[in-house]
Amino acid sequence: MEDKKTNGSGNLLNIENLVIQYVSDEEVTHAVNGIDLHISAGKTLGLVGETGAGKTTTALSILNLVPSPQGRIISGKVEVNGVDVFKMSAKQLHAHRGNSVAMIFQDPMTALNPIKTVGAQIAEGIEIHKGLGKTAALAEAIKMLELVGIPGGRANEYPHQFSGGMKQRVVIAIALACNPLLLIADEPTTALDVTIQAQVLKLINELRVKYRMSMLMITHDLGIVAEVCDSVAIMYAGKIVEYGSLEDIFDHYRHPYTKGLFDSLPNIEDRQAELKPIKGLIPDPTNLPTGCAFHPRCDYCTEECKSGEPFARQVSETHMVRCNLYRETDRDML
Amino acid sequence: MEANSANTRMITTRKEFYRKFRKKSIAQELWGRFVKNKTAVLGLAIFIMILLLAVFAPLIADYDTVVIKLNIAERLQKPSAKYIFGTDEMGRDIFARIIYGARNSLTISFVSVAFALTLGGLLGAISGYYGGLVDNIIMRIMDVFLCLPEILMALAFVAVFGTSIPNLIISAGLSFSPKFARIVRSAVLSVRGSEYLEAARSIGARDFYIIINHVIINCIGPIIVQVTLYIAHAILIISSLSFIGLGVQPPAPEWGNMLSSGREYMREAAYLVISPGLAIFFTILSLNLLGDGLRDTLDPRLKQ
Repeated sequence: MEDKKTNGSGNLLNIENLVIQYVSDEEVTHAVNGIDLHISAGKTLGLVGETGAGKTTTALSILNLVPSPQGRIISGKVEVNGVDVFKMSAKQLHAHRGNSVAMIFQDPMTALNPIKTVGAQIAEGIEIHKGLGKTAALAEAIKMLELVGIPGGRANEYPHQFSGGMKQRVVIAIALACNPLLLIADEPTTALDVTIQAQVLKLINELRVKYRMSMLMITHDLGIVAEVCDSVAIMYAGKIVEYGSLEDIFDHYRHPYTKGLFDSLPNIEDRQAELKPIKGLIPDPTNLPTGCAFHPRCDYCTEECKSGEPFARQVSETHMVRCNLYRETDRDML
Repeated sequence: MEANSANTRMITTRKEFYRKFRKKSIAQELWGRFVKNKTAVLGLAIFIMILLLAVFAPLIADYDTVVIKLNIAERLQKPSAKYIFGTDEMGRDIFARIIYGARNSLTISFVSVAFALTLGGLLGAISGYYGGLVDNIIMRIMDVFLCLPEILMALAFVAVFGTSIPNLIISAGLSFSPKFARIVRSAVLSVRGSEYLEAARSIGARDFYIIINHVIINCIGPIIVQVTLYIAHAILIISSLSFIGLGVQPPAPEWGNMLSSGREYMREAAYLVISPGLAIFFTILSLNLLGDGLRDTLDPRLKQ
């Protein structure tokens, strides 16, 4: 595989003030409400949040695949390798998708076309981006299949002949076939059972390191984050509420929501301990609370939180938190 | 990793590659799956036999002297070695009329279904792909047509524009179009929302490529099945129209008008109606068996 060089030394992915809404006749869904994310070359960012926090919408926007006409990009920009994705021509976009950014989908059962052989499906991207003929692309696809640990001879079998874990390996092979600069993994292990999860994660991480790709790992599993990520963004109701290095988040978390996420993990040392779930539910994205979106569920909520939106505060050079508790001081609350 | 790279190194030449991964072409593989289905093979065999008889009819009997010429001396002959299905009330060989009738029935039904598939399929694909207002307008018009029984629509058309074979084709084609529009539309819709289209987009495939390689290929199974079933249906409609005198006009042979003229002699010469009836029965049976077999063959999930 040839190496693609990144432009200059800046971040590979820059998302600035991104706002995306889904507009229907009755209501407006505020999916993403002004987020900033950065991934530098070769690094992995974990995007963590509950279902409906806007994680997948963010991922789709990097490919400029937010479903239209309902999905609207209200403001902001997404730069990959210095080029704004929303300003790309159709031709540039086709070259961008798959070649510089590729995505691993959540559910391998539905992400594969049931009536095409897996070899043909892997070969598709290779044909499009490397300009190879069908036979050469299929030969390349077989190499990819072997790379993800499936015997090449199974290339002319259909998806239903594979198990869930194997299908996810095929999906990974499709994503990696053109050696992208950035890999988006959208909850790649959610549809798999626990024993397979570990294998698939290990595979993704090995290949990522081998081909020096950057990765955006979308998940709601903090265990996965601890294993593969360099930095972490905690997303809540379409906003990044806390952002920092793996160490910042795991050892020095500040935001009450992040605290809630860690508290709701089972404690392996004390089996009698009760779980402490975060009270309440994630707010309806068509009708977000005023002020801080988390305030109805927050134990530390003040009057101020109900009216004014909290500003992002830099706790340290790498660590950002969006909470009124950290007005000016750096004191350790927890 | 070592084992994998050894594997990749094994496939070095193109010839070797073909031997290993392309043992069978897709057509061979489909055929292999098709022949496992005995009833479908039976259907195909009957249909091919009827098709061959129709195609080679001029070699078996002469149209002008045997099929349409009056021959009163030989009228209402029972089936015998000379006339295997007997002769009708005008002394014409029923077997010869049936194989010539097959030419009419099959041509009209094939062309009218092709016509319906093109028109209805196009409208359905547009509806399904674009959705919204376009979909609503097209499908509501189709709904209006669906309200009318096919036979009535065909009847009205033929009554207004006169009975001729092109008019028959257009009338049957028009009355089938809404059905094909619905089938194609639902097939396109079921594929349109699938995640694998999104996945294809995410690797940079263009819309046209996706439509050809993912949408149409996924719709082709139900369409082929419906085509075979509707050809059978078209044969019935054409025969019915001929039966009531609005289809193929005598003396040209057609199974429907043979039934119609034979029914007056049903008591003394039942073979007059039995043979065209059986011809319709076997053609439709074979097409239905074939359609079911094709559906099973084209769906790889049913592969054993």
